Amino acid sequence: MKGNYGVKSIVLIIIIGIMTYIALAGLQIPGTGVNIENVEANIRYGIDIRGGIRAVLTAEEGANPTDSQMEAARQTIENRLNNKRIYDKTLLLEKANKRIVLEIPYQVGQVEQDPRDAIEEIGMTAMLTFREVDPNKLDENGDYLPLDDKIVLKGDDIVTTEPELDQRTGRTIVRLHLSDEGAKKFETATERLVGKPLAIFMDDQFISAPNVQEKISGKDSATISVTGSTVEETAKEAKKLSDTINAGALPFKLVAKDLEQISPILGQSALDVIILAGLVALILVGLYILLYYRLPGIIADIAFIFAIVAQIMVIAYSHMSLTLPGIAGIILTIGMSLDGNVIIYERIKEEIRSGKTVKAAIDVGFDRAFTAIFDGNITILIAAGVLYFFGTGPIQSFAFTLALGVLLNFVTCISISKTLLQAVSSLKFAKNTWLYGVKGGKVNV
Amino acid sequence: MFDFIGKKKYFFALSGLIFLIGIIGFIVNGGFNLDIQFQGGTLVEIQVTDQNIDTNKAQEIAKEATGKVVNAQHSYTFDVSKGNERIDLLVLSVSSEGKLSEEEYNNLVSAISKEFKVKEGAKIGLRDVDASMSKELSGKSMLAVFLACVLMLIYVWVRFNAMNGLLAGFASVLALVHDIGVMLVLYAVFRIPVNESFIAAILTILGYSLNDTIVIFDRIRENGTLLRKESLASLTNKSIAQTMSRTLNTAATTGMCVLILFAFAWYNKIDSIMEFILPLLVGMISGVYSTIFIASPVWVMLKEWQAKRKLASKPAKA
Repeated sequence: MKGNYGVKSIVLIIIIGIMTYIALAGLQIPGTGVNIENVEANIRYGIDIRGGIRAVLTAEEGANPTDSQMEAARQTIENRLNNKRIYDKTLLLEKANKRIVLEIPYQVGQVEQDPRDAIEEIGMTAMLTFREVDPNKLDENGDYLPLDDKIVLKGDDIVTTEPELDQRTGRTIVRLHLSDEGAKKFETATERLVGKPLAIFMDDQFISAPNVQEKISGKDSATISVTGSTVEETAKEAKKLSDTINAGALPFKLVAKDLEQISPILGQSALDVIILAGLVALILVGLYILLYYRLPGIIADIAFIFAIVAQIMVIAYSHMSLTLPGIAGIILTIGMSLDGNVIIYERIKEEIRSGKTVKAAIDVGFDRAFTAIFDGNITILIAAGVLYFFGTGPIQSFAFTLALGVLLNFVTCISISKTLLQAVSSLKFAKNTWLYGVKGGKVNV
Repeated sequence: MFDFIGKKKYFFALSGLIFLIGIIGFIVNGGFNLDIQFQGGTLVEIQVTDQNIDTNKAQEIAKEATGKVVNAQHSYTFDVSKGNERIDLLVLSVSSEGKLSEEEYNNLVSAISKEFKVKEGAKIGLRDVDASMSKELSGKSMLAVFLACVLMLIYVWVRFNAMNGLLAGFASVLALVHDIGVMLVLYAVFRIPVNESFIAAILTILGYSLNDTIVIFDRIRENGTLLRKESLASLTNKSIAQTMSRTLNTAATTGMCVLILFAFAWYNKIDSIMEFILPLLVGMISGVYSTIFIASPVWVMLKEWQAKRKLASKPAKA
């Protein structure tokens, strides 16, 4: 048994060491393509820190959009923002509430624009067209330019589209369903354009230009094939194109029910302060546990470093946006994460006082403390879950870090702490009860 | 050993006193200080270089420019990333009935820029909330707190069958309601803005306080099978005493983190963090207090009441 725990402990400590190293310095192995940046480079801060615009968009009064229309609207906004070269953004569709939450962080050197104008522009009704194009008229990116006199189909000529699996090729294509009039127009146009491109535009933005293979007759016979390097990617592209075309039939305007522009000056300063506060809290709490619980305290601190490092790594590498309340959540879990260890060590002390040997006390301590830790952690998870479900942006980040911290702490407590403590307690010097914070002899019930 | 259960009267009275102060504060202050998220309206934040800004004058100018009642406030903070440079802000707010239109907003910004030394190149902070959104947020918040309480009641009920789960659940939820009450007192008396952080703070405390209660109840559950001959009150007293050093140590480690955060936010005047952390701090104290002095004695009272009722109903049946 002794050797077993010992080996496990050494492995655990090495793992924790490597994790901490990667978190701080990143990992680059030349020649293997392994290139992990440290957490600092990966953390994506929320707009309450970076500054930026946040808007909750809903369909204008009177409109009652369907789920697929909302999805189409989301795609339209994404296309419009990409067209403005705004790639760093979060777009979230809340189907239940029929609203789209948009967050655009502030970019250094960004042209000043009234957020209300910007949002109004983004939320405008979309105008989709299929047009003939002139191969000689291209923009600077090599995309076709929209020609106003060459419109073949308009948004309302298309009833709907959907991605569909092509049985022959196993790849996803987009099927168009046209209106009666649309089908007629499409038939004449495709007859004329065989072998030539027919380009799709959203407003004035170029989307795609499939080549016409043959004359297409009938309302439901038109399909567009999409190119992607893998089957999955093709399916994704097809879905995107389908959503974009559906958005062309978007009959409603999106308006901001809640609009927020956050200036970036306050966030950065608040971030510096809160990180400093976190470091101070980390050191003081670590020292407190060390001084109070002595030998188990060292182990609690090791487990604690693991939990914090793991928590920050998950947040950083998942690119979840981290807000000020989110960081407060991390700091709060610094305190709470020791609760499990505290419950166990208090129990171990009690068992030692009642006359058990150190080893027996540790076994019983972990056993008896388990239900309290388990039940206690579930309650915080319930609270965090409800908060995540009902909250928005910054608060969701808090709920997420809190829940993550509690889960990690629970796992560390019952696995890492236990293994390390059992390994250490079988060493000779560790039989002294003073090391566990028990004052010699006196039983204190 | 301290008799936690026997002295319950005093602790109930103390809680009652706190609630009384809260009610008085609520009436004197005219209700809660609802933030724009809960009220709807427009809030504009302009960085100025003048440290002694005349808010009355700003209010008048704003009224002239928009034709609406505008509330002006001056706030400042320090930019740590730039060697503690002071940042002064003029905060203008219009309540929901008067939400600013595009034109009014532009008029307001240009009128203020003309009259005050607005920092050049600084971004203007803006928040524009529709009244329908704020109503929805209030509804959702209440639902969230209610739902969390119900879920926790069910959880305790199921897990603490040995302690007569429903009574244990009821006692712990009563303690939770107590903690929410204490936090509301804080918000009412000190006029802390009620915004989304408020809900986050309350739900966190619900989790934290119940966590505390569960550790003690867990010990009562365990002792209940070991010490069958003890009276309920003495069993509970013992359980509280046995878990006391855990209660205090966990309160110390979490309290330390929250206090440090608060101190840093206070020193650098970062209102958003202070407004979130202060209620957490008070909630934590209340959470520890309510576990020992509310949840435990209430559970004992409920058990005794139940036992009496059983006793009373027995002869009647026979």
